[in-house]
Amino acid sequence: MGNPYDILGLSPGATDEEIKKAYRALSRKYHPDANVNNPNKEQAEERFKEIQQAYNQIMQEKQKGGSSFSGFGSARYAGFGSRQQEDPQMQAAANYLANRCYQEAMHVLNNIANHSARWYYYCAVANAGLGNNVTALEFAEQAVRMEPSNIEYRQLMQQLHFGGTWYSSMGESYGRPYESFNRFCMSMVFMNMCCTCCCV
Amino acid sequence: MFGYINVNREKLNLTDRQIYQSYYCGLCQKLKESFGRKGQMLLNYDMTFLIVLLTGLYELEDETEEFICAVHPSKKQTARFNEATKYAAAMNLLLCTKNFEDDWHDNRSYTKKALSQMFKKDYERIAAHYPRQGQAIQHYLQRLELAEKGKERNVDAVAGLTGEMLGEIFAWKEHDIWAEELRCMGFYMGKFIYLMDAYEDIGKDSKNNCYNVLNLMHKETEQDFETFSGLLLTSMMSECAKSFERLPILLHAEICRNILYSGVWTKYEYLRLKKQTKQSKDEKKEKKEKEKREKKEREKKEKEKKIREKTKEKKETKQKGTEQKI
Repeated sequence: MGNPYDILGLSPGATDEEIKKAYRALSRKYHPDANVNNPNKEQAEERFKEIQQAYNQIMQEKQKGGSSFSGFGSARYAGFGSRQQEDPQMQAAANYLANRCYQEAMHVLNNIANHSARWYYYCAVANAGLGNNVTALEFAEQAVRMEPSNIEYRQLMQQLHFGGTWYSSMGESYGRPYESFNRFCMSMVFMNMCCTCCCV
Repeated sequence: MFGYINVNREKLNLTDRQIYQSYYCGLCQKLKESFGRKGQMLLNYDMTFLIVLLTGLYELEDETEEFICAVHPSKKQTARFNEATKYAAAMNLLLCTKNFEDDWHDNRSYTKKALSQMFKKDYERIAAHYPRQGQAIQHYLQRLELAEKGKERNVDAVAGLTGEMLGEIFAWKEHDIWAEELRCMGFYMGKFIYLMDAYEDIGKDSKNNCYNVLNLMHKETEQDFETFSGLLLTSMMSECAKSFERLPILLHAEICRNILYSGVWTKYEYLRLKKQTKQSKDEKKEKKEKEKREKKEREKKEKEKKIREKTKEKKETKQKGTEQKI
């Protein structure tokens, strides 16, 4: 696949909204349902798949900047398979992780008796991929505790930790419920809760 | 389980508020159409969110209808429907009926038993039409019961059950290109809902020695518990929101964002405010009692001082009198 931005006809600095608009316009044009009577429908389908892949790649890369774990099966992290002195089981786990086979990776890791810092790190990545974000953070923190100078482990821990920072900054303009309520005015808060039961 | 996925109406503009309300009304009308008047009592905002999400993702076309609402008869309301409304109404029924059954098993609630009997035929009809979702809910309840009986301590393991179930509900069309991403979003939202439930019930569960996954953390100090649970809930919503942002949703995106970044915290903020108010009331009460005690102490000391002075005066007067006689 070529440059995903080129496929969507965008410049690399495009905003999320621009990317989504471009995707919408192109996917409408090349969607199989819209090309049933098109003599070139196979090419249209190929193009549609390309557009889909390009969109997914751009969105995941963009989120990687803040936190690489798009969680639950679509986590991406580079750097596996590069360790040569690893024992074969750890190497097998690394390979599974590189291919996003998190369940298999956990299976291998659970059979390894030596719980080195790297073992904790691999467990963190596997758990993050399986959607176990709480467990992933615990493992990442342990890896950092055992090898505080390892940048890879720190980066992972920060990425897992700072999902909250990204979320808070995204949500700033929406505020939080009751932030304008006087904390002593509980009766008003309670009435407010009741009112939202049937009207917006 | 329901009632956490709210909108922050103060931060929503008038148009979006009306749109959201009309999807809510649409769901209510669809529940009535599919399950009779009894269906309308199942109405909730959580499924309304699902309608808005799916409408935005698939850019579904709405039909609108004006009607007179029995609860708000003063003026005509507008209801919006589309295919997602029908799906959400069906999911609404599956989830609620299972909820009733669950309450009957846990708390021996006869009301809930009666309710689940009332919807039994509808449940069977809908579960046959949506077997994947029906089975997901069935398995979920069985696995949750096992986990809670086994006093599962791993937060991800137990909250993940609700996550997997809700993921199946969110993934409307199984082989759709967005099914995985919807599953991911539903997964983290499900985990958030389970943990919010645990957070809400922690006081009651601790008192009655009932299972609650946050029990261990709650035994630590109050402040640590609040910090930990806040971080836990935030990390779930953060992953859920990231999943949403990966979807190419433009239509009604602002309504969804209002809910995901703000509205979901409605119950949480309410509970925190309640705790803080109770705490400050308790502190005020303690302060008053302390002042009362101190005042009593002071009055007692004053009294004793006066008695001592009077006794001294009397002694001096007596002495003077004796000296004079001599």
